[in-house]
Amino acid sequence: MQKQVLSLYRGFLRAARSKSPEDRHQVETIVSTEFRQNSKQVDRKNFIYIEYLLRRGKKQLEQLKSPDTVRLSSLNVSLSQTKNSEK
Amino acid sequence: MAATTGSSISMRSRLATSRISGVKLASLSSQGRSSLSFQLRPLPSRLQISCAAKPETVDKVCKIVKKQLALPEDSVVAGDSKFAELGADSLDTVEIVMGLEEEFGISVEEDSAQTIATVQDAADLIEKLIENNGA
Repeated sequence: MQKQVLSLYRGFLRAARSKSPEDRHQVETIVSTEFRQNSKQVDRKNFIYIEYLLRRGKKQLEQLKSPDTVRLSSLNVSLSQTKNSEK
Repeated sequence: MAATTGSSISMRSRLATSRISGVKLASLSSQGRSSLSFQLRPLPSRLQISCAAKPETVDKVCKIVKKQLALPEDSVVAGDSKFAELGADSLDTVEIVMGLEEEFGISVEEDSAQTIATVQDAADLIEKLIENNGA
């Protein structure tokens, strides 16, 4: 499972490369913050939740990969939404 | 070249081997004969690969690792430094590998990326990939 998470992280960083330098930096910051936060907060044995996060992350990655997603605002929104729902 | 000198010395006496093997062969001398076969082997395995990485590559990798982990300039990062020992978690390691990919213009496969644990591992892999690219 850890492999899947790392692979997803790698996927995000790869996708970020296709953006403009400015957007890229922003994407990277947000993605890395999100992953690190979850790595600290989520219980490693909470497989169901981690699986859910993985699925969600994969969907977000698909969106990020599309060339239409140039600006980060879209990613920002989705992230802040999920953060709200977590509360 | 190293292989021939190694084997000739090991035939002379055990003591000589163990002294020279201070590097890493200590366990082999205790196995007696097997140390001979090891040294005569054409070394296609890890050992040769780890000798292959040029110092420049290792240096470059060290620099990138330092930058990525935001380590102080004077911190010691050498070939055998483990990323984990330098305070990198698994996410950092992913970032390091991504940084290396860009720096060297290579693409590291998922599977190989997971096996990288030390600076030397990374440098070896990079040289292998660059070589493959050139070929």
